[in-house]
Amino acid sequence: MSLPKPAMRGLLAKRLRFHLPIAFGLSLIAAAAFKFGVTEPRKKAYADFYKHYDSMKEFSAMKEAGIFESVRPTGK
Amino acid sequence: MISSAVLRGIGSLARTRTAFTAPLAVRCYSHAKVETDEEFDSRWVTYFSKPDLDTWELRKGMNTLIGYDLVPEPKILDSALRACRRLNDLASAIRILEAVKDKSGPHKEIYPYVIQELRPTLQELGISTPEELGIHKV
Repeated sequence: MSLPKPAMRGLLAKRLRFHLPIAFGLSLIAAAAFKFGVTEPRKKAYADFYKHYDSMKEFSAMKEAGIFESVRPTGK
Repeated sequence: MISSAVLRGIGSLARTRTAFTAPLAVRCYSHAKVETDEEFDSRWVTYFSKPDLDTWELRKGMNTLIGYDLVPEPKILDSALRACRRLNDLASAIRILEAVKDKSGPHKEIYPYVIQELRPTLQELGISTPEELGIHKV
């Protein structure tokens, strides 16, 4: 019982033609997932924090707490 | 969007590559004549058939051949094994068989077919396969 001749050429090319688009696609999906799962929420958190940030109020609170050396709390 | 355009490009690249099965000299931009499989095979059979092939040329030829995206045809291997016989190099002959098995990768049907085709040559030249010697497993 003799064996039939199998395909012997271009085996790697066939494998790459199948796997490379999948690899490329998965990488793009991973990048998109990171962008929309991590970086965009992070940017939004910073934007939301600073949208109504009153720096003078925060400064006065810190000043009254006495942490600065160049400006002391009122009444000291 | 850039990523969808790139994905479409990769997909169309994969689909239009109908010549992916030929291993050599198939470029989309070169005007060089494409060598057929038969021409490739006979070129290599001729290479190993040189009567005064030396050991360096045998090793160089085999290493170059192994670098291609193909498993060498039995007729090329026959020519290489006869060159090993002329050079009294049984070790390289058995190594060539091991290389064929390695090049087949996950395609386990290739190696038994090649051995089947080479069986008359192996018997004539007195070459044992790695399996017959028990050196096929680590």
